[in-house]
Amino acid sequence: MDFHNIEEINKIVSTIPFIDVLEDFKQAGIFLEARISVKNLKGLNENLNFDIQIFPQYPLKSHDSEALKFINRDLISYNHVMGDGSICIHTLHSPKLKQKLLADFESLKAWIEKYYINKNNDSHYEHIIINEQPFDDIYYSYQFTKVDYSFKKGEFGKVDLIPLSNGVYKKKTICNFLIKSFQSVKNSIKINSKWSDYYMNFEVKNLGFFIFLEDVPASHNRFAFSNWSELENYIPTDFLQFLHDFKKRNKKPKNTFLPIFFGYKTVKNEIHWISTLVKINEMPIAGSPILDSNGIKLKGQWKSELIDQKINWTITRNSSYKYLFGRGTFCDKITNAKILIIGVGAIGSMVAKTLVKCGAKNINIVEYDVKEPENVCRSEYSFSSGLYDKTFELIKTLHENSPFVNVKFHNNDEYFESFIKALHKDKESQKNYEESLNQFDIIFNCSTDNDLIFVLDQLKLSTDLINLSITNHAKDLVCAFYPNIYKYVQNQFINILDNDVEDLYNPTGCWSPTFKASYNDINLLTQYALKEINRKYDENKPKENFTLSINSENNSNIKFTQY
Amino acid sequence: MATDKSQHLQQVLETHKMLHIEKLLDKYKKTRTKVKEALEENFKDKIYNPINSGSYAKHTAINIKFDLDIVFPFKKDSFKTLEELFDEVYNFLYEKYKNEAVVKKQKVSIGIVFNTDGDEINIDVVPGRELNQEQYNNDYNLNLFVNSLYGLLAEKTYIQTNIQAQIDLIKGKSDERNIIRLLKIWKKTNAAPYKSFFLELITIKAFDKEDISGNLWEKLKSVMEYIRDNVNKDSFTLKDPGNSNNNVVDTLDNAEKNNLSNKMSNMIDNIENYSDNIKTYFPVNDQFEDKNMDRYGLKDSGIIAPSIPNKSQQFG
Repeated sequence: MDFHNIEEINKIVSTIPFIDVLEDFKQAGIFLEARISVKNLKGLNENLNFDIQIFPQYPLKSHDSEALKFINRDLISYNHVMGDGSICIHTLHSPKLKQKLLADFESLKAWIEKYYINKNNDSHYEHIIINEQPFDDIYYSYQFTKVDYSFKKGEFGKVDLIPLSNGVYKKKTICNFLIKSFQSVKNSIKINSKWSDYYMNFEVKNLGFFIFLEDVPASHNRFAFSNWSELENYIPTDFLQFLHDFKKRNKKPKNTFLPIFFGYKTVKNEIHWISTLVKINEMPIAGSPILDSNGIKLKGQWKSELIDQKINWTITRNSSYKYLFGRGTFCDKITNAKILIIGVGAIGSMVAKTLVKCGAKNINIVEYDVKEPENVCRSEYSFSSGLYDKTFELIKTLHENSPFVNVKFHNNDEYFESFIKALHKDKESQKNYEESLNQFDIIFNCSTDNDLIFVLDQLKLSTDLINLSITNHAKDLVCAFYPNIYKYVQNQFINILDNDVEDLYNPTGCWSPTFKASYNDINLLTQYALKEINRKYDENKPKENFTLSINSENNSNIKFTQY
Repeated sequence: MATDKSQHLQQVLETHKMLHIEKLLDKYKKTRTKVKEALEENFKDKIYNPINSGSYAKHTAINIKFDLDIVFPFKKDSFKTLEELFDEVYNFLYEKYKNEAVVKKQKVSIGIVFNTDGDEINIDVVPGRELNQEQYNNDYNLNLFVNSLYGLLAEKTYIQTNIQAQIDLIKGKSDERNIIRLLKIWKKTNAAPYKSFFLELITIKAFDKEDISGNLWEKLKSVMEYIRDNVNKDSFTLKDPGNSNNNVVDTLDNAEKNNLSNKMSNMIDNIENYSDNIKTYFPVNDQFEDKNMDRYGLKDSGIIAPSIPNKSQQFG
């Protein structure tokens, strides 16, 4: 099958002014191949030759990659050149052959001018290229995060690993781990990762080693070394001795393997770790005799040296907060706040999960209720867990979503609502509740409990108390800020909004009717409200009440009313 | 059912009148007299006759939040500095009442909160010093010590004022007083962060500059429109009648002025769009709203139905 019109391609390419065609395109298997020479560019002293390869998908892309490659293996030391000598270009999308071809050649020209002639460096950091491979047909991944410690060049020791999960990666089994801590051999300090308590309480099941190289173990600062012998000038001999001693002492089966992590500095002294897996009986070291000044072997004295052996690179990821949430969070005033959520039903569980997904670090919850199977369809609870206390399940869910959030029960979790109501007239209890609630920066009351709002409104609170609730059918959402909650919410529900309390859902066998609305109905308004709340915090806007209303039959518009 | 806005506002004013709390007010007055006499006794020749000031003296008080203010005009030569004067008055009041009240320094006053038979009685004592020796009885000009940040003034400075001129400004202005009371009710019930004195002056200025007429809602709306349209203008000023150099609008920064303008705009729009919204901004004091109750004490027995949530039921 012919994928391309070769004649047409050759004709278009022949019109490009800054190249000579050395060899026209011709079919080579499923590819088209040609050879060109780039000339006459300002600052380009000699012509630059490239092999060109066109893939069958061209002019469409294949996944994220261009389906046309310009290749020159001599340029490997320049920026944005891949290990096979292909230039990394990204051009506009176009299904039109001529437009795409001309754009790709223009892009090659731009690369030559920027990186070959002017030798520009990019402002953003790019990781070195590592050929991450499965080990005995299984992938292994290791995620690390920040530690409060400055590693010194040549420092090495043990790494405590906690298993995270096993799954499927590129159609093969993968075993995922977190680095829990580093233990330096020289000063015996345990250097803990800054994961949340939830993860730090996981049991250590595996061991690894680390060596902090400081320098990047890569050729051209971009391609990770592929052979142990290339690391000769990077790894101190005492680390090799450490490996040798371990191998000698170790009583585990000899084909047991472990990861060795190499640390180096990237931008702004940030540390990155890459990892290789080694079998204990195949350590990449060999003994060699120590020679005296005359080159004579010293009897019984040996040292360890790296051998000529392929490095089995495995997967590491920097999952520190900055990178895990780099693509978007709520503002710092929310993510750094100590937050309490009262009531984690539909709205409350969505608020909790959204806060965590948006980077919140400290969440406390209060709820007396249990999750029934019929709660699953419009909340953040799972069917697979069966019947469950809402708090217990949500705490688990939230921890599963972020390794940087600490989620706890608030005092007397399930009795909070009944106690505070029973004691609300007692001055001493009021003071205690004020003290207890004022330790939070933000409280979301999603309990939808009028009596509780009434009680909370009586307290002298310095915290930001935010009430969120909806009308039946999730037609409206009401957001109110302390101290204007109780009367405002009452007026909204009784007088202003159309809260239909007749068309309710009556589950079979349940004495208490509930509102009708889907996950989509509720979450649409909840997300809008959270976006507005975030804006108020971010832009330091006054915390004024608002409502959101689906104000037309066909959901075409959400009306925002600021009070 | 739509709410008659003017009728509602009349009810708001009615239920916030001081006459509903006469017994409490008596306690206040007695306590004020006690404090006044104690200060007169202690400072004797150093002071002129104290005057009652504040919202009660101006007839703009509301029964949900008020205190009684007394201004003590001290003679020019009574103390070396205003700070010394302020501290002396504070020290005297603190020593005198520390076992029965909380005494604390405020911006220009000393606040005393007595707890009398379960009622909190708030008395504010404002010590002032005549501006010119032996001139107080002629011009009523006073300097007040400013204890903390007060608008644009730096900490620990002083401010010139004339309490009598402030009281005189509002005399006989009953329309203005009603609007001021409504705005104070809004301020208190909606936790709006504006000073009562600021709301007084801006209301009076609105009446001066605009044709404010019609029913109660129309008058209130006109004042709110005036605030909306003017408060954030660079040229807008609010002169303190007690000190023409004191521009009271300076107690707000630009962001706060814009917020107030937006707030007025939202309030007008929301009330005009849905009259029931007036109840959010200007709620009736339901403690004194008993005339609408039926014989069982329920305002609307129609909302009661067994096993069905009523309209106030929130969901989520």
